[in-house]
Amino acid sequence: MNLRIVALILALGVVAALLFSPPKRSPAPPAAGSGDQASTAAASGLPARPETLAFKPLAFTPPDAASFRRVLPDGTAVYLAPSHEFPLVTVSITFKGGASLDPADVPALASMTARMMREGGTQQQQPAEFDETLDFLATEIGVAASETFTTATMNCLKSNFDESLALFVGMLRAPAFDQARLDTAKARAIEGLKQRNDDASSILSREWKRLVYGVGHFESAEPTDKTVAAISKERLAEMHRRIFHPGNMIVAVSGDFDEQDMLAKLEKALSGWERGSAAPDPEAPTAVLEPGLYHVPKEIPQGKVVLGMRSITRDDPDAIPLLLLNDILGAGGFTSRIMQQVRSNEGLAYSARSTLVPKVAYPGDFRAGFESKNPTVALATKIVLDQIRGVRDDLVTEEELETAKASAIETFPRQFESKPAMLRVFVNDEWTKRPPDFWKTFRDKVRATTREDLQRVAKKHLDPEKMAILVVGDWDEIAKGDLQGRATMKDFFGGAVKHLPLRDPLTLEPLP
Amino acid sequence: MLRPASLRALLGLALVALGTVAHAQQVAVEEFSLPNGMQFLLVPRSDQPNVVSAGWVAKVGSVDERPGITGISHFFEHMMFKGTDTIGTREPAKDAKYRAEQKAIRDEINRIVWTTQYERFNRGEIDDPWNPANDTQELRVLRGKLDALIKAQQGRGDGGPASGTIVKDEFDQVYTKAGGSGMNAFTSHDLTCYFITVPSNKLELWAWMESDRLHDSVFREFYSERDVVHEERRLRTDSTPTGRFQEQFDAMFWASCGYAWPVIGWPSDLNSYTFEQAQEYWNTYYRPGNLVGIVVGDFDPAEAKAFITRYFSRLDAGTKKPPPVVTLEVEQLAEQRMNAEGDFPPAIEIRYHTVPAGHVDSYPLDMLSEVMNERTGRLYQGLVEGRGVASSARTMSDTRKYAGLFAFEAETRGDATPEQLEQAWYEELAKLQQADLPERELRKVKNRVAAGNYRRLENNMSLLVQLAFADALLDWREINDGPKKYEAVTAADIRRVANKYFTPQNRSVATFRRK
Repeated sequence: MNLRIVALILALGVVAALLFSPPKRSPAPPAAGSGDQASTAAASGLPARPETLAFKPLAFTPPDAASFRRVLPDGTAVYLAPSHEFPLVTVSITFKGGASLDPADVPALASMTARMMREGGTQQQQPAEFDETLDFLATEIGVAASETFTTATMNCLKSNFDESLALFVGMLRAPAFDQARLDTAKARAIEGLKQRNDDASSILSREWKRLVYGVGHFESAEPTDKTVAAISKERLAEMHRRIFHPGNMIVAVSGDFDEQDMLAKLEKALSGWERGSAAPDPEAPTAVLEPGLYHVPKEIPQGKVVLGMRSITRDDPDAIPLLLLNDILGAGGFTSRIMQQVRSNEGLAYSARSTLVPKVAYPGDFRAGFESKNPTVALATKIVLDQIRGVRDDLVTEEELETAKASAIETFPRQFESKPAMLRVFVNDEWTKRPPDFWKTFRDKVRATTREDLQRVAKKHLDPEKMAILVVGDWDEIAKGDLQGRATMKDFFGGAVKHLPLRDPLTLEPLP
Repeated sequence: MLRPASLRALLGLALVALGTVAHAQQVAVEEFSLPNGMQFLLVPRSDQPNVVSAGWVAKVGSVDERPGITGISHFFEHMMFKGTDTIGTREPAKDAKYRAEQKAIRDEINRIVWTTQYERFNRGEIDDPWNPANDTQELRVLRGKLDALIKAQQGRGDGGPASGTIVKDEFDQVYTKAGGSGMNAFTSHDLTCYFITVPSNKLELWAWMESDRLHDSVFREFYSERDVVHEERRLRTDSTPTGRFQEQFDAMFWASCGYAWPVIGWPSDLNSYTFEQAQEYWNTYYRPGNLVGIVVGDFDPAEAKAFITRYFSRLDAGTKKPPPVVTLEVEQLAEQRMNAEGDFPPAIEIRYHTVPAGHVDSYPLDMLSEVMNERTGRLYQGLVEGRGVASSARTMSDTRKYAGLFAFEAETRGDATPEQLEQAWYEELAKLQQADLPERELRKVKNRVAAGNYRRLENNMSLLVQLAFADALLDWREINDGPKKYEAVTAADIRRVANKYFTPQNRSVATFRRK
């Protein structure tokens, strides 16, 4: 057996990341038992169809965050969820602010700061010594900045907890940002930039963000060779002071520990750490998406497509119906309409889906996408747009809505499935001030949603006329359309395509 | 704040504690078998309440294939979601008729392509015998008929919805409505695994659904699903910067054994599988004696065994036993090299033939890889930091069921060249060949491996996949026995395998340069 499973594996489907409900969907009614369908199951005395099975009820009450929340004397919030199955402990500290705090002249500074916290040693230990100590203890520490949060996590064996916590907190309080390690990290970052055009999907995601959020907002900002060069110990230290302090953090601990003992240890570890004020909320982008057909050149045998528009915020009253609708449309896996039409019926793509990203501070985006061989890019695009028009023009079927609702309700407990997952929900909710009754009322709101609600939000939030279609690939091959003439790229926005330049991977300046 | 001195004092304790931990680790697995030969592994645990991860493994992968049917294991994985006479159709008899008609036409298409079109291709008259653009008139007509039948079966043909017999993706719908999530499957060189997470009260549904498809899969959409797999190939292989080069490197590295072809199969084979070949494959590899069910999570074992017995007993034991995989990899006699140019950073990959999983040398080889990896490993220290020639570097010991490989991979930094990476690797290797690993370094790696063993078992689905690999390659007990074997590896073992396998004539080198 390998220590790491490295075997090449091919999965059946790309599992889409969803917000609070996993795979879903359903279409045509399963016409139950038609004569000859009494089937082999019945012949062997087994129930003829799965619908005839009866299940014991499974009661679930969402856990109450308050019962897991403690406050240290200095005011720091701590969520504790012990479990004793394995002798491991995880401490996860979530700080407010990530890429949202990047200065305009140095995108990805928060991300580099997070990385250098772990790599650059501490005031007590040189980087190599720090790494060696942790590795010997088999303690894992990671720090990473996302868009709006920075998270530091320590996982260790219970027997090494005291030393591990001391190393972890020591690093968070007093990182050294070793110059040699910084030089190495910057050189590696440059190598990463050079690869930005190698895979078409990274081009697609970069250009999509520029279209949707506009240039000049952190959502679309990307480093260049110049901005990487501008990163210095001083800039890192400045970002460290902004993010890493008790006034800007929430602690979560899961694993094998005693609650009172843990609180005492945390209090001691954090004592004397100066408390600043919490980082500001992220600013909203001001750009407005310009509808149209866009193309970026790349010679590959498949066109990669994303189409969509700005959508809603997380706490929008339309969020639940729109999530259910998105599930039926393209987020629900194999039986979502887009997957069924584009993959199952037409065989035009391996993966086809839609995604809804409701953000907290400002509206996120709705987007649908797929990859298809050049001649069928237009046809698949047409089919996806037809599906979007379909949920605007007509009510979804009762069957579809019932399946989407049942799935949302049945999979609801999975949010809280493991202790670390549950704590992540609590911490995120506290930072983002999620309405306190959200989880308690979620399932009832789902139950109360109607087909008319779905059509209303479809008309309000999904409009093909207001969408952008972005294609990465070989335009001359793609524009022609399929052999049977079922669709060409002229079918969209009258074929008026805006050719966006491929950008120099180091400078992001347009290439000739 | 702890000072370094006090830390050092603590390390001795940690060393002992970790060793004890590694030996104590035991996953409590209950084994259970049915008279038809299907085996089950049950791991009840309650730390994650309300959910159960359940799946089953077919002990078959691309290594069991042969030229002509490469990729059929993976294609089968797709077929298993297409339903039975109960799931996936509203009119089983009419649906069977559609399938038989499609088969007759497709057999005829294949016959013409394999003869006329292959001959035209061999003479240089057409560039691709399978491309419909090169069809003869006869083929065009047949393909039109096949498409019409497929559309009619889907209810999208001239006869409208009334002519349709398929309930699309019903398998997924049933699970979805019942709160199933993460339904998926994967195929590797050695095994095929199907899994899902369901609410605790739906274990009977799982038993119903899985035993139904194992009992009665009809290979619906046997022809149209190939378009999806071709798109999958384009996505994973043809449209990625190194996909096709990796495929070529595999084909070069493995001379004789079944790891030479890609799991997804060669495109011409993917077009060619016949229904008879699929049936033969099914009767050979998808019989209960070659299957292992795995259930991990919050459930009552007595109830689970009752459901399993009730439903999976319907599987017919069959008469065919999977044939042994007999072709051994031949010894490599001379270094092989491949020089690739494309849209990728300058990089290198060096591979060596090693041993199968469970071989006595596999444990020191795995440990040798751990010595190289991670931030305090020799590659980061020696190539990324020390010489400053690599932006990243890693090794992997990939021991499969019938053979193994050890790979070193690195990307250049700045103006460094693949040759510099290659040279640096040989220098790092020589150090391990010439001197025993220092005791503290070995202890460090063992500590990391011991802790890693716990971390991999925390999550239900992760444990399920670990058990699947362990049982398909060796025996599920390796989950509990493996840690002791790693703990027992000595510095002398590592030095010995470093000298035995890492020789010039046993290596294959691929260099990658930006075009």
